[in-house]
Amino acid sequence: MDSMPPVLSVRGLSVRFLMPGGRRVAAVTDARFDVAPGECLALIGESGCGKSVLASALLGLLPGNAQTAGSALLGDLDLLTAGERTLARTVRGRLIGLVPQSPAAHLTPVRTVRSQLEETVATLTTTRGRAALRAAAEAAAERAAFPADHLDRHPHQLSGGLAQRAATALALVGDAPLLLADEPTTGLDRDLVDRTADELRRHVDDPGEGGRGRALLMITHDLAAAERIADRVAVMYAGRIVELADAAAFFGSPGPRHPYSRGLLQALPDRAFTPIPGMPPELGDLPAGCAFAARCDRATDTCATEPPPGTVACHHPHVPEDVRA
Amino acid sequence: MLELRSITAGYARNAPVVRDVSLTVASGESVGLLGPSGCGKSTLARVAALLHRPDSGTLLLDGEPVRRWRHRAPREKRTAFGVVFQQARLSADPRLALTDLIAEPLRATGRGAEVPGRIAELAPTVGLTPDLLTRRPHEVSDGQLQRACLARALALRPRLLVCDEMTAMLDASTAAALVAAVEDYRAATGAALLAVGHDRALLGRWCDRTVQWDSLA
Amino acid sequence: MTCDAPAPAAAPERTEWRSHGPRRRSTRALRVRTSAVLVAATVLAVLLVPPLVQLDQQAVDLAAKLRPPSWAHPFGTDDVGRDLLLRCVYGLRVSLLVGVAAALTATVVGTAVGAAAGALGGWADRALMRVVDTFSSVPHLLLGIFIVAMFRPGVWPVVISVALTHWLSTARIVRAEVLSLRSRPYIDAAVSGGASRWRVTVRHLLPAVLPQAALAAVLMVPHAMWHESALSFLGLGLPTHTASLGTLIQTARGSLLAGQWWPTLFPGLFLIVPTLAIAGLAGAWRERINPRHRSELML
Repeated sequence: MDSMPPVLSVRGLSVRFLMPGGRRVAAVTDARFDVAPGECLALIGESGCGKSVLASALLGLLPGNAQTAGSALLGDLDLLTAGERTLARTVRGRLIGLVPQSPAAHLTPVRTVRSQLEETVATLTTTRGRAALRAAAEAAAERAAFPADHLDRHPHQLSGGLAQRAATALALVGDAPLLLADEPTTGLDRDLVDRTADELRRHVDDPGEGGRGRALLMITHDLAAAERIADRVAVMYAGRIVELADAAAFFGSPGPRHPYSRGLLQALPDRAFTPIPGMPPELGDLPAGCAFAARCDRATDTCATEPPPGTVACHHPHVPEDVRA
Repeated sequence: MLELRSITAGYARNAPVVRDVSLTVASGESVGLLGPSGCGKSTLARVAALLHRPDSGTLLLDGEPVRRWRHRAPREKRTAFGVVFQQARLSADPRLALTDLIAEPLRATGRGAEVPGRIAELAPTVGLTPDLLTRRPHEVSDGQLQRACLARALALRPRLLVCDEMTAMLDASTAAALVAAVEDYRAATGAALLAVGHDRALLGRWCDRTVQWDSLA
Repeated sequence: MTCDAPAPAAAPERTEWRSHGPRRRSTRALRVRTSAVLVAATVLAVLLVPPLVQLDQQAVDLAAKLRPPSWAHPFGTDDVGRDLLLRCVYGLRVSLLVGVAAALTATVVGTAVGAAAGALGGWADRALMRVVDTFSSVPHLLLGIFIVAMFRPGVWPVVISVALTHWLSTARIVRAEVLSLRSRPYIDAAVSGGASRWRVTVRHLLPAVLPQAALAAVLMVPHAMWHESALSFLGLGLPTHTASLGTLIQTARGSLLAGQWWPTLFPGLFLIVPTLAIAGLAGAWRERINPRHRSELML
C-alpha cells in the first residue's frame, strides 16, 4: 500500500475491568492496527470477544471500573489519555463519526430527522442562520442518500434502512476523518446489509475536503458484510487480534492463516457450515499462551506459550502455498 | 402436521401485519420462511406457535382446528411447539440461572422431578458446559444464552420447532453450532421445523424447502 | 505504514494501566454513607431510647415550662414543661410506625391491583384502572380527612387513611411495568413452555417489578410521615396526648408566635432529616436497580 500516514494508529491497546472481589477481566489485550485514509478495516469476532469494548475505548466511553494501557493516536492526539473535555469538544463527531448499531435507538424519537440534522450541523460546523442550516442539513441528508421528502418524519416513521441512513447522515456531518461503525448491519436483512455496506464504502472512497477519503473502522460479526466492504480484516478472539490480513486474500485465496479465522469462515452456511468445537474462554479467566489452543486441531505443547507477535498470532498458522513468509 | 389457512393477524385493529397467508409444515419436514425484516414473518411465527391469536383464518394442528391461543390453548397443544427467538437477551428471564431457565418448562408442567436428568441430557447437546449452567443471563455471552434458550425450547420434546431468526445476532460458528443442535434433535425425534429468517444461504442450507414470504399471500 | 509489517513487540512486560471513569464517585459514596448513618441512627433511636432511657416522656413540670435549650433539656421544654428531646424521639417513633405501616399496606394493595390489571388485561384492566382514576381524582388530603373522620382518633385510622390514598401511584407503576414486560419474548417462551397465567404472573412478572415496588414503598415512608403530620396538625390525626411529630408541631403553634422557636424547630428537623436520609438511600438504590447502571462490565 501507499505511504499515506494512517488516520488512526493503535499500539498495544489493552483494556481491563476491575470487578468486585478483585477479579480482573482482560477485555482487550495488546491490540495493534492502523487505519489509513480511504481504507476500511473490519474488526470481526463473535459477541463478547472484546470488539465493542475496543470501540468504547476509542471513544472514551468506558465505564468507571475500566483501565487502559497503550496508545491510540488519531493524528497527534492520544485518544486513551485525552480528557473528557477534549473528547467531547474535538473528537466525537468532529474527528470520529459514529455509525451506531441500532439507528432507531440512536435518533431522538420525538424530533424529526431534519431538526436533528440541523442541530448537529449547528453544533459541529460554523454554519449559522436558518436558511443556511436548512441547506446544510439537506446536503448532509443527500450525502447519506437519505430522501429529502422524508426529512420531516420522526424516526419511528422510517424503515430500518432509512433510519440507518439518517444515522449515517448525522455521523457524516462533522466531516470526521475517521468513521467508526459499530455493528451497523445487525438485524438488517441481506439486501439492506449489502446496501448499507455499499453506502459506507462510498463514504470511505469519497475524497472529501482533504482529498484522501475517510478511514472506516467497522466492527461486526457479519462476515458477509465484512467481505463486501473491507480492505483489510482484523480477527479478534478472546480480546486479542489474532490475525490481520488483506480482505481479498482472507476471504478468497489463499484464505485465512489463523486456525480460528479458518474455522469462522468454514462455519458459514455457504461454506462447510461446520461449527468450531467448544466455546471461547472467559475473558476473566484466560489460559496461559494461546487462548484458542483448547479448540484448535493444530495445537501442540508449544501453544501453552504466548503466540508470536505479528500479523498472525499463532504458533502453527496455515502456510499459504505462495511464498509470503 | 401444521397448517395455516389464510391467516390475517396484527396488533392493532384494521392494521394487520400478516394478510391472508397460508403455509403448511408436514410431519418431520423442515420449512424455511424467507422474508425481509419487518414483513410480518415473526408475527406469523407467533401465530403458528399459538402465541398470538390471529384476527381471522384457521390453524390446523394434526388436522384439528385450534380455537384458543396463549394461556387459553390447552397445555398439550402449546407444548407441542418449541420456540426460539432472535434476541436471546429478551427471551431469558434475567433472574433465572441457566439451569432454571432450561428447567422452567418442566417445572411449569409439573415435571420438576425430571429436571436433573433432562438438564444432563440437554446441556451437552447444545454445547453448554456445567460451569455456565449456574450463571445468570448477564454473566454469559449472547451465543451462550441462545444455546440455553434452545435447550429450553427442547426441554419438553416438542414435535415442532419454531425458530424465529434464531441465529441473526450470532457469529458464524455459534450459528452453525445451534443449527447442528437443532438438526441432531430432529434426526433423533423426527420433529418438524419452521425456521423464519432473512438469510437465503442459511435457510437454503438448513431446510428441506424454503418459501418466499411474498409467495404465501 | 500499514500493519503488515510486524511491529516489534512493544514491551508487554510491564503494562502501565490508566484508570478513567468519572471522579464524582466519592461524593456519591459520601452522600450514601451519610444517609445510611442517619437512617440507622433514626431507627436505633426509636427502637432503643424508649426501653433504655427510663424517663417518662409525659412527666409534667409546670415550673420549667417553655424553657429554651439547655444542658438539662437539650431541645428545651414544651408548654407544660415536658422534655422536648424525649417527646421528639417518641414522636418520631409514632410517625415512623405510621409511615412504615402505611407504606407497606399501600405497596401491597398497589402491587396486587397493578399486577392484576397488567397481567389480566382486557376488561379487568379497564375496570381496575377506572377505580384508580376515580380515587386519584379526589385530592389526597380531602380523602384522607374523610377516612379519618369516620373513625375515632388513633394510630390505625391514620394508617388506613394514608395507605388508601397512596396505593394508587404504586398500582400505576406496577401495571405499566407489567404491561411492558408482558410483551417480552421471555413471557412468550414461558407460555409456550406450558406455564399457566398464574405462574407467569407470580414467577416471571411479579419478581421483575418487585424492586420498583419496593423502591416506591421506601420513598413512600417519608411521604406517609408527612401525611400523618398534616392530619395531626389539622387535629384530625392522632389524639394530642400521643406524641407524634405532627401533634408536637401542632401544639407548638401558639408558642412560635410568642417567639419560642424550639418546640417547632426540633420536631420539624426530626421530620425533615430522616426524610432526606431515606430519599438519599432510595436514590442510590434506584441507580443500582436501573438496568442501565447495572451492567458495569459492558461486553
